[in-house]
Amino acid sequence: MPEDIIDLIRESVIQGRVTKDDEGLDEDMVGQPGMSELIEEALISGVDAQDIINQGLTAAMKIVGKRFEAEEYYIPDMLASAEAVGVAMEILEPELTRSGVKPKGKIIIATVKGDLHDIGKNIVSILLRGAGYIVKDLGNDIETKDIVKAVKKEKPEFLGLSALLTSTMVNMEDTIKALTESGLRDKVKIVIGGAPVSEEYAESIGADGYGADGFQAVAVVEALNSGTTGNK
Amino acid sequence: MIRKGLAGGSYKPLTPEAISKINETALRIIEEIGCEVNSDIALASMEKAGAIVNKKQRRVRLSPQKALELISKAPSEITLCGQDEKHDIHLGGNRVYTGTGGTALYIYEPHTDQRRQATLDDLKRIARLVDNLDNIHLFMLPTYPTELPLEQVDVNRFFAGLDNTTKHIMGGVYTHDGVQQVIRMAKIVAGSAEALRQRPLISMIACSISPFIIDGEYGDVMVAIAKSGVPLVCPAEPLCGATSPVTLAGNLVVQTVDSLMGVMLAQAVNPGTPVIFGSVATSTDLRDLKYIAGSVEMGLLNAAGAQMAQFYKLPFYATGGMTDSKALDAQSGYESSITGLLCALAGANFIHDAAGLMEFALTACYEKYVIDNEILGMVMRAVEGIRVDDETLAFDIIKEVGPGGNFVTAKHTRRFMRQEHYQPSLSDRNSREVWEARGKKTTWEMASEKVRTILDSHTGGLPDTVRSRILSEIKGIVD
Repeated sequence: MPEDIIDLIRESVIQGRVTKDDEGLDEDMVGQPGMSELIEEALISGVDAQDIINQGLTAAMKIVGKRFEAEEYYIPDMLASAEAVGVAMEILEPELTRSGVKPKGKIIIATVKGDLHDIGKNIVSILLRGAGYIVKDLGNDIETKDIVKAVKKEKPEFLGLSALLTSTMVNMEDTIKALTESGLRDKVKIVIGGAPVSEEYAESIGADGYGADGFQAVAVVEALNSGTTGNK
Repeated sequence: MIRKGLAGGSYKPLTPEAISKINETALRIIEEIGCEVNSDIALASMEKAGAIVNKKQRRVRLSPQKALELISKAPSEITLCGQDEKHDIHLGGNRVYTGTGGTALYIYEPHTDQRRQATLDDLKRIARLVDNLDNIHLFMLPTYPTELPLEQVDVNRFFAGLDNTTKHIMGGVYTHDGVQQVIRMAKIVAGSAEALRQRPLISMIACSISPFIIDGEYGDVMVAIAKSGVPLVCPAEPLCGATSPVTLAGNLVVQTVDSLMGVMLAQAVNPGTPVIFGSVATSTDLRDLKYIAGSVEMGLLNAAGAQMAQFYKLPFYATGGMTDSKALDAQSGYESSITGLLCALAGANFIHDAAGLMEFALTACYEKYVIDNEILGMVMRAVEGIRVDDETLAFDIIKEVGPGGNFVTAKHTRRFMRQEHYQPSLSDRNSREVWEARGKKTTWEMASEKVRTILDSHTGGLPDTVRSRILSEIKGIVD
């Protein structure tokens, strides 16, 4: 029984189905239990939350990642999968706190000052939540001082900065400088992304990592989190 | 998602008045000028069916009434079957299918930028390749095995097709005996003569010679095919300024007459026999009288031919999708695209030569099959058109997303993204950085990799019992 339900949870991630009303990728899935229903059921039948995460959610996201790399899955597919994982994590959170399991990490994410683009940043947020992180999304066009204030207050392990314009990407550098001046730079790992941004640029402004797309952003955060050096 | 048999017809180069005028002129030619028929049996069949025959001149003429009566005996719908039913194609109306064509004598190899003679082995390998290319719906035998003597060509070509793809096999034939042997072979594959009639796994092509000649040997072949009940294609190949007037309208008249003569002959021999009205009409290079395979006029002529076929309620065999280029370059891409697209949008039932051919149809190229498979996928998407209904207009989703929102996470996007948008199987859509990192590959280099992957992994072939029966009963097959 627990094995079976974990299989179903994995399938729910792969299909990107949050509730029983979702259609997923394959036809005629509507009506079959989705992620919310499955997690509730699993908890009632006493399946270990950590097993759900490791064997269900994380294992399934690896499959989704492979399909995305093989160009079989598109961004909307991977987002639907990540959303399903995010919903599962939300339901599991009280259970995890009760059993004393520490969350993987906290991330603050923002699109920098002057830049109104947020599709990419939102995607990264969904994916990071899908990977099991607690994500606080500040929004777009965020003043440098407000980012600094949030880092001071929330004490996140990571800060994600996004920009789509070459004219606003310089505000990433300003943000890093401001964090250094406030003495916060060493307390947080900074990962940047956005169309004009590159690995070289990340290095030149003193960021800790760069993600070319959503999956890479997650990979960089995961690498930094496990103590390796990201993509540098 | 494989797109085939979708309704075309949104592109109409001929107005209804133009169609009427072409028809009237064609019928006038059939009545006043007629056609020279150099096959005795064809001549006798036409006379028996009510044609006016001048035996001395071997000239056959028909009154408009008689002509239309014979044409109306031809079925307007024909199913060409594959060994696998999923490959069946239903010709008629304005439904569009694509296929290979021939008959090329050479193979172009982009790695060496050279061409070499085509062999029987090439035919087998191209059949395996096309078996795996979804946007090519039918396999017309594309190359001529230059190493074989004429009397072995027909059986070997059809065997190579039947043994290496489960798509329908269409092919030109070269000898009367070859036709008989090929039909015997097809009966073995189908199971019986009746099974072959029910599910024609093969079809054959016999051309008339423009302007207005049915050849002795080809006339005999046409009669033999018509008697057998195997679907027959009767194409005409008038060339502007050479074997037809240089004007497109004049060319269409000659093509109509010549193809209708074949249709009428088949109906005279065996009323109701499946016959396909065909066009290979195109331009001529008036600098040296070469046949041209990639002109925009060829697209226009074959699109108009589709309208004429629809007018006579006959299934249509069009020619499009080729190039005159000697390399896999820009010309190769644009000529194949334009000619193929015009035919498809006009609702040409079966576009032959639509993949793999270059250099005036003299040369086939493995990589070009893969490239054309991509072009044809896009062409078929264009044929499909735009679906407009409440679900696709998406008012509710637009309302939900609102100003400044995005549709990336909308379920609606996921529901429709794969079906509304053609999914490329070859085109490079990577960023410059990724493209550079992956070796800056050209289209033909990527196509080449795909050819290798497909040929290395292809399995299949005729069942062992069928295969050994054919090899023991049909002479001359080189296994």
